[in-house]
Amino acid sequence: MPSPFVPHLATLKAVQDLTPDVKLFSLEPLDPQVKESFTYKPGQFAFVSAFGVGEAPFGLTSVAARRDGMEFAIRRVGTVSAALHDLEAGATLGLRGPYGNSFPLEDYKGKDLLIIGGGIGFAPLRPVINTVLDPAHRAGFGRVTILNGARSPADLVFKEEFEAWAAAPNTRLELTVDRGDGKWQGRVALIPDVVVELKPAPANAVTIICGPPIMIHFTLIKLKEAGFADGQIVTTLEAKMKCGMGKCARCNVGDRHVCLDGPVFDFAQIKGLLEPF
Amino acid sequence: MLNRFMSRPALQKWLQTLMADHQVVAPVRVEGLVLFRPVKGPEEVALDYRNTTMSPKEWFFPLSEAIFSYRREDNKVILEPKEAPQEVVLFGIRPCDARGLAVLDKPFLQAPADGLYAQRRERATLVGLACREAGPTCFCDSMGGGPGDASHVDVLLTEVKEGYIVKAVTTKGAKLLTSAQVQEGETEEPVLAGLRPVKSRGIVEAMRRQFDSDYWGKVADRCIHCNLCAFVCPTCYCFDIRDFPVGERIERVRSWDSCQSPAFTRIAGGYERRPSKGERMRQRFAHKLLYFPGQWEGVLHCVGCGRCVTACPVNIDIREVIEDVNALPERAATASAAEKGGDGRA
Repeated sequence: MPSPFVPHLATLKAVQDLTPDVKLFSLEPLDPQVKESFTYKPGQFAFVSAFGVGEAPFGLTSVAARRDGMEFAIRRVGTVSAALHDLEAGATLGLRGPYGNSFPLEDYKGKDLLIIGGGIGFAPLRPVINTVLDPAHRAGFGRVTILNGARSPADLVFKEEFEAWAAAPNTRLELTVDRGDGKWQGRVALIPDVVVELKPAPANAVTIICGPPIMIHFTLIKLKEAGFADGQIVTTLEAKMKCGMGKCARCNVGDRHVCLDGPVFDFAQIKGLLEPF
Repeated sequence: MLNRFMSRPALQKWLQTLMADHQVVAPVRVEGLVLFRPVKGPEEVALDYRNTTMSPKEWFFPLSEAIFSYRREDNKVILEPKEAPQEVVLFGIRPCDARGLAVLDKPFLQAPADGLYAQRRERATLVGLACREAGPTCFCDSMGGGPGDASHVDVLLTEVKEGYIVKAVTTKGAKLLTSAQVQEGETEEPVLAGLRPVKSRGIVEAMRRQFDSDYWGKVADRCIHCNLCAFVCPTCYCFDIRDFPVGERIERVRSWDSCQSPAFTRIAGGYERRPSKGERMRQRFAHKLLYFPGQWEGVLHCVGCGRCVTACPVNIDIREVIEDVNALPERAATASAAEKGGDGRA
């Protein structure tokens, strides 16, 4: 019986700086069979091993169907992420997963989507956007509004894709920063205030929001004021975890496991959690 | 009454036979403790213990072990999976601890099964020993088990005047017994341990009701997060995974952990889900008495072995917690266990 803790080996195909402290890692499993069978959905995560240091869970930020490698946008913040940041293309990494549920995109068919991400919180939203905006699926969804915010212009992630997103049919891309940098011509405002300005209509709409707890807290207030119900607002929860399979008893929030029942929850579900998220 | 039984000399002989072709792990006295250890001769086996100091979970889910290792060779990483464990006869397991393993099975055998744990379970035969005497902190029959509960062992032995009443519970157990001298005959009625009941009825609902009570902070106030409760517990399964270099190789090591540790939920960046002792204490009891039964068809995550009560240096007593929570008036919480102090049984 194989141990589910033994990772697949993967090559780090490419590393790209997204911001001063976020890099995009593109991985390819060494075993061609694994490469073929390792499929995943927007919202799911996997454990990445920095050999010699350890492993940690990270959200998959690529779209499996695109077959252009498995990507993770990782901010340098802990021991494993720091070790990953020190690696160069060609390195061998460990990979196990995917784990967790995913954004129920089927349920969003025909609806308007408001997608709000703050800082590295935008990482799990990118595969949602790239799935919905895929010409093969685009007609299945209503109007798409993307709001990407960061502390500074340099901290905005996925800049290379802004042009494509803004140009997609029936799609609006809004950017905002907490502080400009002298060259920044765009909006300087906090995300909750931008949400007010956008006047999102709650009828037949879903909001997906990921980011730091403080941003989520204040944005939720504005979304509720705009008339969004708890079940129409979806997020991903973050938790310390060691297994991803409901065995290590570490990521539970009340009686739910972030690894099995999440990481994607809507706020009706979150309100039912016994512990604060 | 008419029973199948084994005389005392026959038991010694059977143990000897088993040791010839099996690894036998049995209770052994070690420096004042009773621990499950591999034994070579029947004389090493302690038969007059109430229960072992540590639970037998360590034979299935060790305190600390490399779950695999790896090394680098010419810029490549070579993974070295752990070898499969060998067959083992676990002799002398108490019914509460066997039930503890059945509880651990829930998360560990849930797909994808935890490879090493599953293999060890599959390759182990459990010879249970019913309890004729209760320890001072035993309360198995209040948690769904009992001193003569044969539900989770392969063979159950119950000591009587004439020797041991033998019950082959599973096919695996019957097979193990083929090498034993078992006879039919009259034996006395077995006398099993009498236990002090704990008012546990309705505890799951009571835990939900008292979730936001200030009771948890009060009980937790004296906790020094030594984690002994989790380490002696036959059902606690929180673990940590870390990489450690051992010479040229690196081992990925899984070790027991505890939800009472201050940094247990801290994520990179500093956010902590349960920053206070009260929240962590509530997690311990809520996992045992609310979350786990909710996830696994009502199965409580406590078998009433009482080890945590004995081990706790500040006298936090799960029996009192259960009775307190059950007795707390709705929404108006008190903290009797916390206020009583001492051994808590004022």
